[in-house]
Amino acid sequence: MTENILQDTALITPALLVPLLPLIGFIINGLAGKRLPKSITGWIASLAVLGSFICSVSIFNALDATNSINIDLFNWITFGNTSIAFGLQVDSLTTTMLLVVSGIGFLIHLYSIGYMHDDEGFTRFFTYLNLFIFFMLILIMGNNYLMMFIGWEGVGLCSYLLIGFWFKNDAYNDAAKKAFVMNRIGDLGFLLGMFFMLFHFGTLDFDGVANAAAGLDSNHILIVTITLLLFVGAMGKSAQIPLYTWLPDAMAGPTPVSALIHAATMVTAGIYMVVRSNVLFALAPHTLDVVLITGVATSVFAAVIGLMQNDIKKVLAYSTVSQLGLMFAALGLGAFSSGMFHVVTHAFFKALLFLGSGSVIHALHGEQDIRKMGGLGKYIKITYFTFLIGSLAISGIPPFAGFFSKDEILAKAFEQNPLVWGILSISAMMTAFYMFRLVYLTFNGNFRGTEETKKHIHESPAIMTTPLVILAILSIVGGFMGLPAVLGFTHRFAAYLSHVTDASKEFLPHAHHLSHATEYALIATAIIAAIAAILYARNQYVSKGNLPVSDEQALPVLQKAIVNKFYVDELYDKLFVKPIQVLSELFLVLVDKLIIDLLVNATAWFVGLTGRTIRLIQTGNTGFYIFAMVSGMIILLVIRLFI
Amino acid sequence: MIAEVFNLRKIMIPAILAALTAIFYVNMNNWNHTGDVVIYGINMSHMITVDHFSVAFSGLSILLAAFIFILSHDYYKNEQHHLSDYLSILLFILCGALALFSFSNMAMLFLGIEIVSISLYIMAGSRRFDVRSNEAGFKYFLLGSFASGFLLLGIALIYGTSGSFIMQQISVYAMSGNVSPLFYLGMLLMIIAMLFKVAAVPFHFWSPDVYEGAPALITTLMSTLVKVAVFAAFYRLILLCFTGSFSYAQDILAIVTAATIILGNVVALSQQNVKRLLAYSGISHAGYMLLTLLSINGGNAAALFFYSTTYSLATLGAFTLAIPVFAAMHSEQVDAFNGLGKKHPLMAAMLTISMLSLAGIPPFAGFLGKYYIFSEAIISGQVTLTLIAIINSIIGVYYYFKLILAMYTKPANESIPEPTPAFWLVAGVCVAGGIILGIFPNALITLLQ
Repeated sequence: MTENILQDTALITPALLVPLLPLIGFIINGLAGKRLPKSITGWIASLAVLGSFICSVSIFNALDATNSINIDLFNWITFGNTSIAFGLQVDSLTTTMLLVVSGIGFLIHLYSIGYMHDDEGFTRFFTYLNLFIFFMLILIMGNNYLMMFIGWEGVGLCSYLLIGFWFKNDAYNDAAKKAFVMNRIGDLGFLLGMFFMLFHFGTLDFDGVANAAAGLDSNHILIVTITLLLFVGAMGKSAQIPLYTWLPDAMAGPTPVSALIHAATMVTAGIYMVVRSNVLFALAPHTLDVVLITGVATSVFAAVIGLMQNDIKKVLAYSTVSQLGLMFAALGLGAFSSGMFHVVTHAFFKALLFLGSGSVIHALHGEQDIRKMGGLGKYIKITYFTFLIGSLAISGIPPFAGFFSKDEILAKAFEQNPLVWGILSISAMMTAFYMFRLVYLTFNGNFRGTEETKKHIHESPAIMTTPLVILAILSIVGGFMGLPAVLGFTHRFAAYLSHVTDASKEFLPHAHHLSHATEYALIATAIIAAIAAILYARNQYVSKGNLPVSDEQALPVLQKAIVNKFYVDELYDKLFVKPIQVLSELFLVLVDKLIIDLLVNATAWFVGLTGRTIRLIQTGNTGFYIFAMVSGMIILLVIRLFI
Repeated sequence: MIAEVFNLRKIMIPAILAALTAIFYVNMNNWNHTGDVVIYGINMSHMITVDHFSVAFSGLSILLAAFIFILSHDYYKNEQHHLSDYLSILLFILCGALALFSFSNMAMLFLGIEIVSISLYIMAGSRRFDVRSNEAGFKYFLLGSFASGFLLLGIALIYGTSGSFIMQQISVYAMSGNVSPLFYLGMLLMIIAMLFKVAAVPFHFWSPDVYEGAPALITTLMSTLVKVAVFAAFYRLILLCFTGSFSYAQDILAIVTAATIILGNVVALSQQNVKRLLAYSGISHAGYMLLTLLSINGGNAAALFFYSTTYSLATLGAFTLAIPVFAAMHSEQVDAFNGLGKKHPLMAAMLTISMLSLAGIPPFAGFLGKYYIFSEAIISGQVTLTLIAIINSIIGVYYYFKLILAMYTKPANESIPEPTPAFWLVAGVCVAGGIILGIFPNALITLLQ
């Protein structure tokens, strides 16, 4: 270990620069932003993230995949014989996330310069965005759970600030609060998990915890508890059932925020956390089952809701929830590197899709309802083609990025449990359907908005389309990192991560490998299913020209339930919010007003009275002072000498 | 004085500061050269001993003195003709304080206490035309001489029984089986005299009156440098001299500690004068510091040192920011701070941090100072006293917040205080120190462990 550290001292500077640059950007814009010209603040923020990306690339080039850098900046907290360092680490898993966060982060910063151009909060927006990147980098670079937690809370805060960015709208503020509260529930789980680790293992270092845990039996109650608690944290952050409802509401934030935070980076933090703790999770098969079930359920449930949404961003939001479910399903199957692979490809195409939707919204001056779009492909060609590529990628059409990562997860599912494979395949089909429903309704057919809007439809400026094009290219070639072994390739992505994921290999059950023929069959099934779904969407919305019904129209029960997102929000409201409100009213009157206030006020009154009384002794009379002193002394001496 | 003759007033403060820097450096060098002090071949170890304890506290007090000197230039702007007198007396005080950190002989202890006290009598009364200042000086002198009398009587009794002034020999005598009752009486008298000097209840009566009457800068000096010096001396006295016989005095010290903590906090609640308020706050802090004496074992010197540092920095910061307000408003009442948050946000913010640090609110250093003292006290078994201390430190939050509330919630009045750069510098360093030590306490806390 020591040798590794010495060997890589040259990398410490770039490793430190990675989080430092966005922080500096944040500080400059936060303190001096108002005095700087608007155009400069956006570029400062973007260049800071670009700097991080360049540093990340240099680390990626220089750092051997089997190696890691560990930088303990200082000893942060010491109590008893436990100490927690303020430390960073970089290994292959971190590097992967670094490249995604800083790379996509930079593109989205760039895009935002165009998208937010006329917004009065332009500088504030970039300040928050830089702060977010900083915390996200801390989250993935920390070398212990507490550091991860700092980043975890930090991105939660930034997410809150950015969802409620247009804070003059009350509904947006509510969405921000909802996201924050939901995340807090998850954070509580994470926090409890950390307490357990600290209490039983005496450390929060990733390595230390993994080593300590490796000494315990599989499914030991302690590990199951810890991993379940950690997973609760992941559920909150990564929007899994039952804590997913905040993510669709989070679309209240500006679209670049949705792309960066609520699609590409922050929401994948839960997956990163599980992969980072892969040894723990591998030792707790019960927890992995829970993860698998949650992931599969979320994947299919969100996909069903996605079928009937009419807001362009909401469709993408539910698709994100569904894709996150797919990733968790992969983790639940013990396929940690496959989950990460999908994180990366998903970051490419989902960021692309969100930015594309932003471009559409930009073109239509804020319209988000797909029923009022249509035929846009003629007017905004670059947006259309890049969006199409993103949709093909998410639908799992080869050779686009999503195909490879999704296919890998499906194959892993089939290996272990064909039922899981079946459900996930259905969810994938639904994904392909609603994505192309979105594409056809938005870009094909005739424009359904007002003439006034139609006149003003325009392609976005180059600063917005360039990121789209780059992301589109990544969505096309991104999958080649992980070509399936069955086709005779080496899976470079899995190999790169193997240093991290191998640690848990010995604890996972050895699955029998599929025969090549089965794998080919699976691939073929997946492709055919996706194409069939797309063709069905085409048949519905292009050939037949169907339109989603308007809000007033009556619907069959099932569809109505779907449109209303299965009334989950209402259910939560009835089940948790209302009772808690009643309880809090009760406590306010009974406990707070009656008991506590009375007690506190009485104590305060008593103390105050005593103070005022004793104060009278302080007469200012020196003779009395001397008398008091001497008598005090005599009393003390009497106490000591005679009693 | 020489400077006065050559009319070199302007360079006096820089020269003193340069000298202080030099002393500070020499002092730091001593860190690795502890042991007997030899001057021109004469071993002085029976008079003073340099150890880590004395070096650390000397460093702190030199730093505090330097701050006071920096402030004194602007503070005494209108009294230039007396400046050299003031400055030389201040230097005397520092001298006395340094003697108090490293004495190993009762005579040195007495000498140090008297140098500090007599200089302070003068300084407290240095506003000749201000009745309150005169009163303060005189009151302090009268009461102080009583205490000095006790101290001297105590030393005499101890010399009479043990036959020595040298601490080490007294300590040996105290541990021997055959100790005269008069020795214990002497020890109690000395402890009582020291309790007077640190303003512990019921020997605290002088402190609010003197703090209020004395010029603000002298109040600052008394509540930081002098308080730390006397406490360090107290600690050193018990540690080096009375460890063997200390259990005899522990009960009454416990009573005094409890009384000090309770009275200091409770009476502070109803104070309207800021200097008085800080005087009572100083009394209660003395109570917390007395906890370290009760659990004395040499190991908790670190806690005392850390606490002294944080307390002095916060108090110095508070006074440094309060003095310009006093001057601008011609008032030392809490009302003078009304609306400072709007008039001068930066000042108000810094004062708030100082107050929060004094109140012991994390993440500021004052919290950790309290935490270390309380945890040491609990480890040594002083659970009841620690509980009393904790409850009272909660009460204490109230009166610190009184000032904060005045600054932020009360309507502003017109005159705006204008601290000079020197005040900004000192306040800035104190506040920054309060924050930095709160986050990175290890450097300081490990110094004496």
